[in-house]
Amino acid sequence: MVTNTEQIPDSPRHPLRVTWDVWSAMYLREMIARTMADRMAWFWMIFEPIATIAVMIFIRAYIRGGKNITGAEFIPWMIVGLMGFYLFREAMLRPMGAVEANRGLFTYRQILPIDPVLIRCFVEGMIRSFIFLLFVVVGSLLKINLIPDHAFGVMMDWLSLWMLGVGLGVLLSVASGLVPEVGRVVRIITLPLLLISGVIFPVTYVPAQYQQYLLWNPIVHGIESMRLSFFDSYHSIPGIDMTYLWFWALSTLTLGLVMHVRFASRLKAR
Amino acid sequence: MIEIQNLYKRYHGPHGGDWVLKDINLTIPDGISVGVVGRNGAGKSTLLRLIGGMDAPDRGRVIRKGRVSWPIGLAGGFKGSMTGRQNVKFVARVHGIKKSLHKLIQEVQDFAEIGKAFDDPVNTYSSGMRARLAFGLSLAFDFDIYISDEATAVGDRAFKAKAREAFQQRVDHASLIMVSHGEGTLKQMCEAGIFIDQGQAHWYDRIDDAIEAYHRATGLITDVADEDDDDYEAPLPTDPSSIDEQMKALRRESAQIHKQQIIAEYRQESATDDAVIAEIQRERKELRDKRLGIKQRFRSLKQHKREIERKASSQ
Repeated sequence: MVTNTEQIPDSPRHPLRVTWDVWSAMYLREMIARTMADRMAWFWMIFEPIATIAVMIFIRAYIRGGKNITGAEFIPWMIVGLMGFYLFREAMLRPMGAVEANRGLFTYRQILPIDPVLIRCFVEGMIRSFIFLLFVVVGSLLKINLIPDHAFGVMMDWLSLWMLGVGLGVLLSVASGLVPEVGRVVRIITLPLLLISGVIFPVTYVPAQYQQYLLWNPIVHGIESMRLSFFDSYHSIPGIDMTYLWFWALSTLTLGLVMHVRFASRLKAR
Repeated sequence: MIEIQNLYKRYHGPHGGDWVLKDINLTIPDGISVGVVGRNGAGKSTLLRLIGGMDAPDRGRVIRKGRVSWPIGLAGGFKGSMTGRQNVKFVARVHGIKKSLHKLIQEVQDFAEIGKAFDDPVNTYSSGMRARLAFGLSLAFDFDIYISDEATAVGDRAFKAKAREAFQQRVDHASLIMVSHGEGTLKQMCEAGIFIDQGQAHWYDRIDDAIEAYHRATGLITDVADEDDDDYEAPLPTDPSSIDEQMKALRRESAQIHKQQIIAEYRQESATDDAVIAEIQRERKELRDKRLGIKQRFRSLKQHKREIERKASSQ
């Protein structure tokens, strides 16, 4: 056993090489954890968003009523909005626990607190994209019109919402690592965020003089833009601007990354 | 080689405090095994964490030349829901091993000897099994410098002996920085020593000197050392086992007498009658002499054993 031990590559690996090795290892680990944590994990991973969306649609359609959306069918409209919002929400919330959950891994000095955060963001995006595609395929088979009119536009908007979630997620992963209360507050405000982002109720229902305040919320821009690409004849409120969303996404991401560099050792220690 | 320059470290936050390590300058040369001694809380583990790169110093720097391990036997990084095999694969991938992944897994499996449990989730393991896996994993990589924080104190007797043997073979072509309270272990594994006291690190070229300095600082006589070291075991199974047998018996006897001494001392304190006190004093002296004899015998046995080892290694 002793004589033929594994040689770690003799010359030190290039820093990028180390990062790549860490990321690929963590990606596999995270994927295994998400899909095989218990015997039904993979099933719930797919069924949970379906169930949530079904419940939301049920509540909205039969209890609240008022499902006339200009230029779009109600159920696809809801699915697109909810999928977009959940993508954003999960990409924002998942990384917050990443540093704490992977604290044991910082024994290996190759792994930095930013690594589990970015990997979680990526894994979350992949899983959500897969589920969305599944919705499109299954929905089409069920004759629900879920084929986007401008597929490329939808992909770009999907990416934008993801990036917005990633930016906030990276920033909040540091913030909640330094001040644990931040995590609680963010979790509390996700429900109101769902209501004010035009996911369940069309933003066009909001009186015109208040619409400008609604547009401060970058999520509205992403979701409405995605619906505009999805349904050719859909009409939204004026002032939807993806530059505004990307401004948010990139500035939070930059700030988050800078804070990760600044507080790396503080996050590693407890 | 590891160079430590003007290193300062303190812990922050609500429970942080004063400097744990203050202005430390050390150079640990290649191929030298170093034992770190000091009181509990003196900063031994902190120094080890800084050397291993798990923590960043507040001031100064640590320059690592060569591949430095993570603290050996640390089971912290295992994910409970994943199997032993998956966890081993993960660590191997992080260290950039691709081609010989299967060979490495096989080695860890052979060393850990946990059988089929290797493919069960780690959270079903007992703490001993976890330790076996962690230890096997650390030894499967070929590092230049191994770091160990009381690592040889895990597992059952058979595994301890095996681990120590593997450890010692590793030290032949790599160096070791270890924290341990088992002084026999330190003397056996290390050449040089670092004594940490009040935030300062003192380098000694011989581990015996470091231990002696530690004893002097804590006000203990050197003779006490051997009995603390109850986990001392034969490093090489090829040795004549009768010597070990005898040494073990002697140690047991010595411990027994020590107990009697303590009881006698207590009795003497609580006694009032002069005649009884005199009787107890006589008893105590007898015990003391007996114990010293045992110690002398023990030491000569140890010496003898070392000579045998030296002969064996020079052949």
